[in-house]
Amino acid sequence: MTRVTTSLVPTVRPRRAKSGLRRLGQVLTPVWLPLLLIAVWWFATANSTSPFFPPLGDILVDTWNQWVVFGAWTNAVVSVRNLLIGYVFGTLIGIIGGSLLWRLRYLRVAMNPIIYFLYVLPAPALLPAMIAIFGIGDMRQIALIALGSIWPTLLNTLDGMRGVDTVKFDTAKALRLGGWRTYFRLVLPGAGPQIAAGLRASLTVGIVLMVVSEMVAANSGIGFFILQAQAEFAIKKMWTGILVLALIGTVLNYLFVFVERRALRWYYRSRALGSS
Amino acid sequence: MRRNPHAWLNWALPLITVVAVLAFWQAITVGGIVSPAQFPTMSDTMGALAGEVASGRVWPAIGATLIGWLIGMVITIVLGLIIGTALAFNGFAQRSAAPVIEIFKAIPAIAILPLVILVAGSTLPMKVFLVCFAAFWPFLIQVIYGVRSMDPIVLDTARALGIRGARRFLAISIPSSSPYLVTGMRIASAQALILCIVAEIVGGAAGIGRNILLAQNSGVVAYPTMYAYIIVAGILGVALTGAFFLLEKRVMHWHESQRNIRASNVVGAA
Amino acid sequence: MSIATAVPTATETVLAVDGLRKIYDEGTDHANMAIDTVSFEVDKGEFVCIVGPSGAGKTTLLRCISGLASPSAGTVAFEGRPLSGVPEQLGLVFQDYSRSLYPWFTNGDNVALPLSARGMPRAERAARVAETLEAVGLGHVAKKYPWELSGGMQQRVAIARALSYRPELLLMDEPFASVDAQTRFDLEDLILKVRRELGITVVLVTHDIDEAIYLGDRIVVLSKNPSVVREIVEVQFGSERSQVETRSSPEFLELRNHLLSLVMPKDV
Repeated sequence: MTRVTTSLVPTVRPRRAKSGLRRLGQVLTPVWLPLLLIAVWWFATANSTSPFFPPLGDILVDTWNQWVVFGAWTNAVVSVRNLLIGYVFGTLIGIIGGSLLWRLRYLRVAMNPIIYFLYVLPAPALLPAMIAIFGIGDMRQIALIALGSIWPTLLNTLDGMRGVDTVKFDTAKALRLGGWRTYFRLVLPGAGPQIAAGLRASLTVGIVLMVVSEMVAANSGIGFFILQAQAEFAIKKMWTGILVLALIGTVLNYLFVFVERRALRWYYRSRALGSS
Repeated sequence: MRRNPHAWLNWALPLITVVAVLAFWQAITVGGIVSPAQFPTMSDTMGALAGEVASGRVWPAIGATLIGWLIGMVITIVLGLIIGTALAFNGFAQRSAAPVIEIFKAIPAIAILPLVILVAGSTLPMKVFLVCFAAFWPFLIQVIYGVRSMDPIVLDTARALGIRGARRFLAISIPSSSPYLVTGMRIASAQALILCIVAEIVGGAAGIGRNILLAQNSGVVAYPTMYAYIIVAGILGVALTGAFFLLEKRVMHWHESQRNIRASNVVGAA
Repeated sequence: MSIATAVPTATETVLAVDGLRKIYDEGTDHANMAIDTVSFEVDKGEFVCIVGPSGAGKTTLLRCISGLASPSAGTVAFEGRPLSGVPEQLGLVFQDYSRSLYPWFTNGDNVALPLSARGMPRAERAARVAETLEAVGLGHVAKKYPWELSGGMQQRVAIARALSYRPELLLMDEPFASVDAQTRFDLEDLILKVRRELGITVVLVTHDIDEAIYLGDRIVVLSKNPSVVREIVEVQFGSERSQVETRSSPEFLELRNHLLSLVMPKDV
């Protein structure tokens, strides 16, 4: 059972740019379409009279005003902080839980349906329950994010550990590594790539929950900012919130990929070289 | 006769655990360790669930959620297959589109929910649009991966036989990349369900999510109903995602047996 | 035949296998007896090769005498004591180096792994790693990763890892089966050299009869599954062997014919 998600990062191609023109092409190819789309957006809305789609130029100016000058950036700080705390907490539980389930076969068999149920349960459905328990405030945000972050990481950790090659376990026995050493030097690194995939899925879930929780019975955060603006019919302000949220989502994802590529350098380099 | 005398544990253990968890729930709520103001008893919740089913109120809610999921999935899959296959066959187009896809995938669909509500109201089209916005990108990525991982010999054979265009697409490309496609559908399905619930809780569209929120707003007395609908959401998740997990297993099994002629260089379904 | 006890003999017995039997899925209706009865002894400093037709349970035998698997009947004694788990003084080299070496560690870290498990301090570890890699002819690869090396070099790293803690006995499971013929000769000579320099005892499982004759002091010939020991053949070449001369000598050919007749699937 695979629960891994992939990202569309181009594979490493050991091709040498034959000429400056080729190299220029390589640089421009991933860039022209996004630039084109932004340009289209800009010009399509430049003289817009629609209340819902103000000119892109105005939005950008307002983003600066709202978020830098007027201090709306505090919302971003609150949101990201809650996200990080909830995410770290949830994924840690996920890794530990996954490890326990891997180690204790009977526990795994026993908990299987419950864990599966909690994994496929759409996490936002829990928001009202969290409101009932925690009321308004950061604690609720963090709890919901943590709760939702657990399952993708837990299941991928379990799967990853179960997928580690038996020959490596024989080696560990042959080298007499012992329980803890085997865990930290074999099982954890061996399951690393799949754990990373789980962590990535957990991040996506966490971001969704962060925003959802800020849009219902909340008083701070980016989601709150966007909804508030919508309620005030301050459309440009709302758009600035959307932009900032999109930016944060993108940055977090790229940060994740960056850290992952470095932590799992051995994995990506060995795949690029063609060995398993 | 299997050597394993403990095979009965495989179904007994989970069953006992579920019963134990439910009993534990009942114990700590009835026993007052957890305040009923925050968490209803298990018996009350199950009673509420039974009540919703018996009174028939649960079905319109499930229906409203499911219709949004279904329409969104259909649009996502059709668009994803067409665009994904087209991109996969053209390296330049794929490399150009890759950053755009990654960026859109990173934007949480809920970010644009307030905007979409302004434009479309708390309606089904609003829900469907959000579902598509969330589910399309991960599905597209899987389609591209799947089509690209196709055995080149299969493609050459198709070309040699003169199979082109829509026929090649339907009869060759789709079955060959089916493991990735089904995985993609499962991921899309999960995203779709999440966005349906989100659209209902935050956006007020009809469905299970709205019922959950309404119950919570109605105060402590309706908490059992709230948890009942959360359980319904979970059951829906089990049904939908579970169906795709089973389909995935089936397809991968079929695919493995078709591909044992030559070792694939694809590192498993993503 | 009695098991070697702690009574020291003139040549010390490192490994004593007595009446070993291994049955998979015992007690079910698809039970499979891989090994029927296998007994032999390995003295200190000896190089013993185990050969047999394919399916003869050679790998099963190796797993049982290494402590990775437990036999259904019979005993295995290492340095006079019955096995419980993998003994500390044992080194193991698997056939599939790419699956055995840990790709997230450098070659140096792979070799150091058993040393840190045995509590060797860091400075000493580094020295020992360098020394061992040097001994297998790979002095410069410590900072690289296994998958950056060729197959033959990876197997050398695996051998270095097994030798780093100076085991008494080295067990090798078809270690050269996954490399090309030329590399195989290099590795065979390497293992002879290492054995000479370190004075270790080696038990090597192989399907390659020529290799068994070239390397071994004695050859244990297994029958087809369920395996018994068909014969234990003595090899008279002594410790000085060369790929070219030894392999073309008349004694080599004689042994080869004899072993082929034992191993080839005609009957039994």
